[in-house]
Amino acid sequence: MLNLQPYADPQYFVYLLLALVPLAVGLYFGKRIDWYEVIVSLVFIFLMFNGKKYHEGYAIIGFMIWQWLLVWGYTLYRKKSNNALVFYFATLLAILPLVIVKVSAPAHWTHVSTLLGFLGISYLTFRSTAMILETRDGSIKTFNPWLFLRFMLFMPSISSGPIDRYRRFEKDITSVPSREKYVSMLEKAVWYFFLGFLYKFIISHYLGEVWLPYIQAFAIDAAQVHHGWTWWLIPYMYTTGLNLFFDFAGYSLFAVATSYVMGIELPMNFDKPFLSKNLKEFWNRWHITLSFWFRDYIFMRFVFLIMKKKWIKSRVTTSNIAYIFNMLVMGFWHGLHWYYIAYGLFHGVGLVINDAWIRYKKKHNVPHNKWTDAIAIVITFNVVMLSFLLFSGFLDTLWFK
Amino acid sequence: MKKRGLWWIFGPVIIAFILIAALFLAPFSLNHITKKDVREASVSFSKNVFKGEAVKHAAFSDKKTRYVPFFGSSELLRLDTMHPSMLAAKYHRNYQPFLLGQAGTESLTHYLSMQEMPKALHKKQVVFVISQQWFTKKNSKVAFPEFYSPLQTADWLRQIKTITPTDRFIAERLLRQKQVKDSDVYSKLVTKISDNQPLSATDKKILSLKHRTLLREDQLFSNFSNTDNWNKFVEPAIKRLPEQADVPTLLREATKIGKEQTNNNPFRIKNSFYDSRVKLNIKRLKDSQRDFDYRQSEEYGDFQAVLAEFAKKDTDVLFIIQPVNQRWSDYTGLRTDMYYQSVNKVKKQLQSQGFNNIADFSHDGGRDYFMQDTIHLGWNGWVAADEKIKPFLTNGYHAPKYHINNNYLSTRWQNLMPTEENLQEFK
Repeated sequence: MLNLQPYADPQYFVYLLLALVPLAVGLYFGKRIDWYEVIVSLVFIFLMFNGKKYHEGYAIIGFMIWQWLLVWGYTLYRKKSNNALVFYFATLLAILPLVIVKVSAPAHWTHVSTLLGFLGISYLTFRSTAMILETRDGSIKTFNPWLFLRFMLFMPSISSGPIDRYRRFEKDITSVPSREKYVSMLEKAVWYFFLGFLYKFIISHYLGEVWLPYIQAFAIDAAQVHHGWTWWLIPYMYTTGLNLFFDFAGYSLFAVATSYVMGIELPMNFDKPFLSKNLKEFWNRWHITLSFWFRDYIFMRFVFLIMKKKWIKSRVTTSNIAYIFNMLVMGFWHGLHWYYIAYGLFHGVGLVINDAWIRYKKKHNVPHNKWTDAIAIVITFNVVMLSFLLFSGFLDTLWFK
Repeated sequence: MKKRGLWWIFGPVIIAFILIAALFLAPFSLNHITKKDVREASVSFSKNVFKGEAVKHAAFSDKKTRYVPFFGSSELLRLDTMHPSMLAAKYHRNYQPFLLGQAGTESLTHYLSMQEMPKALHKKQVVFVISQQWFTKKNSKVAFPEFYSPLQTADWLRQIKTITPTDRFIAERLLRQKQVKDSDVYSKLVTKISDNQPLSATDKKILSLKHRTLLREDQLFSNFSNTDNWNKFVEPAIKRLPEQADVPTLLREATKIGKEQTNNNPFRIKNSFYDSRVKLNIKRLKDSQRDFDYRQSEEYGDFQAVLAEFAKKDTDVLFIIQPVNQRWSDYTGLRTDMYYQSVNKVKKQLQSQGFNNIADFSHDGGRDYFMQDTIHLGWNGWVAADEKIKPFLTNGYHAPKYHINNNYLSTRWQNLMPTEENLQEFK
């Protein structure tokens, strides 16, 4: 049985783009053929979750019914009343399936993860949770059952983002771009597809499939006799870190390009992250839709909560605690392993130090020129690479396996 | 952004696709493999060369030099002074080994590799070096993905006229490998073979298109064997080898080199190997091989497929059975009785089907400087092997008489405990 994993091999693009031709022709002539878009999306989603992955197919259907009822129910409730406890409870219910799946992996509850887990559960949870939060704020007022499904199950980004926002998506999907605008979107789409090919199928192939296994083997060999330490960790760190970028950035480019062909301006996920001059800037350029999601819905809300309840007076302390909390949550989301949590803590502490340094710089008039910028980029890059070494879980393999 | 029409956007993409299609489907060859490329490839161990067929084809149809396939595994990498490639080059023998194999290549990999070089096998001579270490109970196919070549699989499928028990056996084996299982086209076609269904005309067309693109890919890229082994190893060896090619002179020289290079450890393992691979783990390695067992393994079935292929092609084969370094096996606790039993099993499989050219060195692991390290032939070992290889290859092809017994594909044989009685009884 044909099973197509999104953007996994060149063949997929042939099928995908052929299927999208009628839609593109329609958009070019100023018409959005909604029914066709829905059918194509459903077929490709079906092909992701069929065959051996049928249990994921059932899981996503159950998950969607759950979220649909929840967001609908909460919107109905919110029109009448606005109790904080109900809001917290609704949010909890929205993230519950994801939490259970995340816990079941390290707990080895295989039957639970087979029952509830599917590729993309995190990204779908982010979308529906954001809707509940914005409904609470009053920025989303009505529940459109049909648009909810199209937003949640938007095919190009279903498995790994970018994470779109409902109100932005709603605007795009209910309108048609002008011809001039659509042609420029197609031009960008072609560029993104080919940049994505370079990133994912060439650069990431060499990094991840050709070099990394060798480096890994040498590192394991050498580390056995040196108490888990070896110089091979250095090439491993850069290779795995760069591979992380080229693999995921390539994937994100495909998702964005596909959505452009469908006349939707999905937000970009990466913006030359390795040119960042500090860690804060890095998080504005790396996995942007995720870090903005965390910024808006975790960091900001946490800061407001502290200020509203007047738990802490100092603004510096407040933001420091919020940084660490925010990044720890991100670490936990990646998975319940010590190295993911350490990765979150690393970045939380990194952001605290970053802020302290910026304050110090302002106070003491530290010189600033293109050389200090260059040094800043080099330092930031290496700090990030170090965090990716932690993230890769390879230290766990070396030390504890 | 500047305003541009659709042609500006999609024109370059369309042209790119047309060019790629032309490149891959053009009916003429696009590259030229020189004699020097082939010579380098014969000692390169390049995976591209191994998985591809363009370079091999150039080698085995070379009019001036008679390249002979040497199948084997990691021992072929031991390019020391007495290595068959060096001896053949130095003494201008009427053959030159083309080394096929490296650490991790076993029978299944060789079987597929043989599919794309029928001309090198058909009524020709080859040398096949067996390592007992292939015949492990578990994890015998860990390196398979590294050497898997879709081109070879296409070659195999294409040459199947009537489906034989060997084909069905190979199909079943391949279906257990991820590379085949996860490929839509291959899993479908290989499943057909394993179900004894002939391929349809459409299947064959798809295969031939696939074969053509893969072959072109191979022609374009397999040439990049960016090694320099000929200059680095063969040329110095040619200078060092004595002008006299007689065995006592060679042995004297081999012993001298062996002595020089194995003086930092009690196992007579080459110094560099000992330093990098053994020294730091020496305590842990004591008695570490006590539980090794080569007597029951799926590899016996794979090996049978290789034999069937040789029989089909009337190939005249010399088999070389390697010993293990006795000083080392005493230390690591490898059981000699187990090892000899596994050798007997291989020999029974060979001799009972008419494969009688066997150079059995299994009892020579204790001879001085016979092994370069733990399990690989070295200086004196290569000289001893040469005493068998040289007459075999210089005397030329003799039509063999093989009679293949498909029972050797069965799990009964794979799992047979090779006691003397059991071996005698197996039919």
